Amino acid sequence: MRNTGRILDIMERALTGPMMEEATFDKVHVTEGIKRVVADYDIKVDTGKLINQDDDMADRVWQAAIDFIVTCGVFSKDSGRVILHSRPEIETLLKAAPSEVLLGEGHDAVWERARKIEDPSPLVVDGCSIGTPIPEEYFVPAMISYIQEPIVDVTCGGSLETVQGFESRTGSPLEILSTWEEMDLAHLALKRAGRPGMAYTGCMMAMSDIGQISAAQPGGLRPTDLNTFGIISELKANYEIFNKVTHTIRTGGIVDAYANAIYGGLGGGPDGHAVLICAEMIALSVVFQATCVGASPTHPFLFCSTERNMMASASVAFQAIARNSHLMTNLSITAVGGPVTKTLLYETLAYSLMASLSGNSRLLGPRPATGVISGHYTGLEARFMGEVCHASTKLNRESAEVIAQKAFAKCEPDFEKKPYGKPFWEAYDVRTIKPTDEWQKMVDGVRDEAKGWGLSFD
Amino acid sequence: MEETKYKTLVDAIWTGNVASGVAEARKLAESGIKPEMIFGECIEPELGLIGDDFSKLKIFLPELISAADVVKGVQEELRSFFISDGTKTSKGKIVLATVSGDLHDVGKNIVKAMLEVNGFEVNDLGVDVGPSTIIQTAKEMDADIIALSALMLPSLPSIKDTIELSRIAENKEHGFKIMIGGGPITKDWADKMEVFYGNDAAEAVTVANDLTNTGS
Repeated sequence: MRNTGRILDIMERALTGPMMEEATFDKVHVTEGIKRVVADYDIKVDTGKLINQDDDMADRVWQAAIDFIVTCGVFSKDSGRVILHSRPEIETLLKAAPSEVLLGEGHDAVWERARKIEDPSPLVVDGCSIGTPIPEEYFVPAMISYIQEPIVDVTCGGSLETVQGFESRTGSPLEILSTWEEMDLAHLALKRAGRPGMAYTGCMMAMSDIGQISAAQPGGLRPTDLNTFGIISELKANYEIFNKVTHTIRTGGIVDAYANAIYGGLGGGPDGHAVLICAEMIALSVVFQATCVGASPTHPFLFCSTERNMMASASVAFQAIARNSHLMTNLSITAVGGPVTKTLLYETLAYSLMASLSGNSRLLGPRPATGVISGHYTGLEARFMGEVCHASTKLNRESAEVIAQKAFAKCEPDFEKKPYGKPFWEAYDVRTIKPTDEWQKMVDGVRDEAKGWGLSFD
Repeated sequence: MEETKYKTLVDAIWTGNVASGVAEARKLAESGIKPEMIFGECIEPELGLIGDDFSKLKIFLPELISAADVVKGVQEELRSFFISDGTKTSKGKIVLATVSGDLHDVGKNIVKAMLEVNGFEVNDLGVDVGPSTIIQTAKEMDADIIALSALMLPSLPSIKDTIELSRIAENKEHGFKIMIGGGPITKDWADKMEVFYGNDAAEAVTVANDLTNTGS
């Protein structure tokens, strides 16, 4: 249960916890801690499976993650101390965590709820580009391309490359102006598309606490929107992040925190990565009072989340959470393929099945072309993502695995080629905000292919 | 490489055992093997294998950092031998930082570890570092390369500022070569800024080798 009392408690721990050098925290607390629990709990992720089929492994990952986070804690960079909680405290706080939240308002409101593995209810479709850069003149039409899709439940915009010709700078008045520009344009897009109450996931231009706090007031982020922000990898915080938490709680907003565990980083390979993801979600709830906890694990060389081993470890991690808690979790698809490529669609198909069958409450994306190529995103791939997620509720893990493997076999060979595809203005008619025939036919074709593999969209 | 002669040192590098690596390096040097031979016949080939394994994710960042720690220890231990020998202790000096306004560091740390295992001396200034600190440090340590990292779009102006500062008259004479990389940065953008680009940690090493003419 979130409240200011807990903020005071966290600050006390941040100011009195054991003091250490950050490098020591990384090496001893994180890396050696992960290695210890992977050995102690015999964690071995089956990387041959994109969707975990082993409930016992998921439960061991959960126990390992709890054991790990008790000893590791979260590093407070500003105070140079570690924020620690005991096992009973963590278990009590997890029991008190919310299991549902209303996103958006009026006719456009949707419930996000904690889901189970193979849950018959669909997850929340957060169709968005997750902050991909875009020229300011395309921001609104590109956003409308998502909002106009009935299957998209909540959304967010891209990152404005400029605002009236100026590039944003973190911590400066330009950040505040950019943040408000994003808010103004987002509201315009929501109204134009006829879904003014749809929830908005965070503010892409708010890099620091200044932008986030400025935007979270009337005219900007509404109490029914998501205040989305990340912690620092791995398991680190600073006062800026706690400022965002504090302001959100005091103003009655929804804390939507995420942690991006770097695959192959301090947590090592798939086994450690699974434990680290799970532990980070626990930390987001316990330390940051997040209502929704999310991850966008990143590959250090491909810069995607759709790599095989990463999907396997994410699946185990989120199944561990779904089996042992009622946390509302979310994942993001960061794909290598871009719009008007089949690669993007196959990645989306495989990842959506994994996320849905593994008990996630919400799925963001897809973020095409690793989210860095200007304007490379459209609403059509989000529509496809939503369709797959809804269709997946009729499957079990075993049957979803067969389809996911077929899709993955068709995109994995393309990763090194980096098929970034086309920008929004070449994939859509910008005036009518309709996809080109080429893009529409491509999506229809892959949908038909998926039907042939056993995925029913009816 | 003669397997028996360097086995202990190789094992130390792969297991991240600094004490063992340092002791063995000294023993080898004192037995008459020149430091340049130790590096050329053993350390560099092994680091090449380690870097290659990491780029394919057969090993991971902790192993890379541990190997780099061993190499740094060995470099320090053999410094006196190198100086008398006239051999350079590293391929080049690099100042590395995540630019101001940006707190992301894991990617930067991966680049740092890869550069170190590939023989570069890296001064990592951390995150949220302003242009003047970066340039001043580069001048003080007589750096060959300034490597800048950013993971957020609003951090790109900070990179531009650092580049611009490096080109004002009193700094230009130092001839810093600038290399950039990170999420929102593309080769096209780097080309527009007229600086060098590394798409990932492995590419950063290739670029650094090219810039210091030390590639194998």
